[in-house]
Amino acid sequence: MRTLTGVGSTPLSGVGAARWYRPEADLTLPDRPDPSAVDADAELARFESARDEAREAIRDARDRAAERVGEEEAAVFDAHEQFLDDPELVGDVEDAIGDGTPAGHAVNDRFAAAIERFEGLDGPMAERADDLRDVRDRLLRALLEVDSVVGLGDLPDGTVLLAERLTPSDTAELDPDAVAGIATVSGGRTAHAAIIARSLSIPAVVGVGEPLREVEDGDDLLVDGAAGRVVVDPDPEACAAAAGTEATAVTERVATADGRPVEVAANVGSEAELPAAADRGADGIGLFRTEFLFIDRDSPPSEDEQYEAVAAALSTFPDDRVVVRTLDVGGDKRVPYLDLPDETNPFLGRRGIRLSLDEHRDLFETQIRAVLRAAASGGGADSTGGEGLAVMFPLVSRVEEVEAAVAAVESVAADLDAEGVDHAIPELGAMIETPAAAFLADRLAERLDFLSVGTNDLAQYVMAADRENDGVADYHDPLHPAVLRAIDRTTSAAAGADAWVGMCGEMAGDPALTELLVGLGLDELSMSAVTVPAVKERVRAVDSAEARALAEEALACDARSEVRDLLGIDGA
Amino acid sequence: MERTVTVVPEAGLHARPASKLVQTASRFDADVSIGRPEDGDDGLVRADSMLSVSGLNAARGESVRVVAEGAEAADALDAICDLLTSEVEGADGETGEADGEADGDETDADGGDPT
Repeated sequence: MRTLTGVGSTPLSGVGAARWYRPEADLTLPDRPDPSAVDADAELARFESARDEAREAIRDARDRAAERVGEEEAAVFDAHEQFLDDPELVGDVEDAIGDGTPAGHAVNDRFAAAIERFEGLDGPMAERADDLRDVRDRLLRALLEVDSVVGLGDLPDGTVLLAERLTPSDTAELDPDAVAGIATVSGGRTAHAAIIARSLSIPAVVGVGEPLREVEDGDDLLVDGAAGRVVVDPDPEACAAAAGTEATAVTERVATADGRPVEVAANVGSEAELPAAADRGADGIGLFRTEFLFIDRDSPPSEDEQYEAVAAALSTFPDDRVVVRTLDVGGDKRVPYLDLPDETNPFLGRRGIRLSLDEHRDLFETQIRAVLRAAASGGGADSTGGEGLAVMFPLVSRVEEVEAAVAAVESVAADLDAEGVDHAIPELGAMIETPAAAFLADRLAERLDFLSVGTNDLAQYVMAADRENDGVADYHDPLHPAVLRAIDRTTSAAAGADAWVGMCGEMAGDPALTELLVGLGLDELSMSAVTVPAVKERVRAVDSAEARALAEEALACDARSEVRDLLGIDGA
Repeated sequence: MERTVTVVPEAGLHARPASKLVQTASRFDADVSIGRPEDGDDGLVRADSMLSVSGLNAARGESVRVVAEGAEAADALDAICDLLTSEVEGADGETGEADGEADGDETDADGGDPT
């Protein structure tokens, strides 16, 4: 048994066989033999069976994508199969084999020529080059019998995936039923990939560092996301102990020991995650990301499609609140068909509400129409018990933005009235993610029903530290006193204006911080569903007066290290 | 037999329309080829090849020439020309009231694509 330490990212544990993910895996072909030494018939047969193997893999991938993401996304695999069976391409490869080229080289040569052709074309055609590469690699893998690199969606049950670092799209492709855990050499718990792993409930430990590289394919591993460690060759006791630390779901709403209610809700990134959120006892959805409706497709979703998604969330949580965030793209979240500009500093550029009120106002209004219609299917704003639909706007930095967004909602409502379409006005709120929004929280709260603190971006912008840059990971921590003060300013301002305040950043899901957050005055905490049970358990143990005293002490600290000491958190 | 038509789908002969066309061309007992009229017979490529059809890179509004030979040539020609001249390539139907919105969005999206 050997223990490696990292940062626990999804607080679950899993046991399985190690498998390195090396996207640039070695598909090197052997030296080209003399054509006279090549048995063309045998090579043709190998090519044929490689195609069969690739076809089967493509169809599997297609079925899975259709089931998990939707038909729209699955269609790309139809194109893959068409390339695989393309009469010209297949004919070219077969001709080359007939001339004494081994199957692997023939595939490589002919595909290279085709890829080059597409790379020279514009826009969507260039993506065909990626499709061709994908098909070529499947064929080469089959021919070279390289089985260490399988598609991420194709991993066998009980795989612990090891990687240098994972991208968000890599992670989204994983099958949570097959992947027992993830461990990465670099990356932090607030990286998008880590957030996706949490939302898929895949145990994960990130940032393990160099020692992880010594783990080999096939090693038995325990990924203990609660303790932030990876155990090589774990004994059964260690596995059982790790499994035992997972909290069990609490379905009822919770309050502090002295009776102050705190809503513990879930962040959800797609309809598919709704049942898991309900299973873990979430009090509704504190952040319903709507980007999933827009990405991985060729055109924006229709109003009806968006209506269905929001209505589905409301019907999963009939007695709770569902907070929908309007489209938040830009920054590192790209949507090909939206034609977002290339910017030197995309995080400081056209993103969130800035796009929605301007160049993508049409998308925004369609989304608002869908949401207002869905609100009529749920509770609406007249409910006071933390139920019904709420909408919040991302990346607010100016009062005028909130005024314009509220005006847009009113104008859409007037249109729906005129059309005689059923609708209701949901609660309206702003995300507090920028220092500007925290400074203006009082003015924003006057105009809105609620505020929701997005701590990942807030820490990034308050500390001027890119959340994806490991070099400034130290800066990117909401426990820096400057970030805590921005949160405190927000909650104080909202209390004066009779608005409620939630938090939907990763900070909200860390049970070690629950007492501090209650003390800072948050009414709602929203997190990856997997951490809901542990936070609920923690809320019940908190005394709100002691929590306030703890928050005062934290706010008086000079340094993050002092805050950590105060909270009894080990330095990391 | 042959016919020359103007490409109607917003996305031109890209992605799904191309995929559909290849599927359709493969379905008939006919040799179907496609090309730009100005390129003459040398510019014709196999309509059952994804590589060739995508490689044409034909955009909405361009003319394409479709040539079919064989037992089911007439049916194949009809089916292919139908595809090339229909607005929507059979994606999830957007119904009544959402139509106006969705159309506006799509114009926006496709206008942005080639950049």
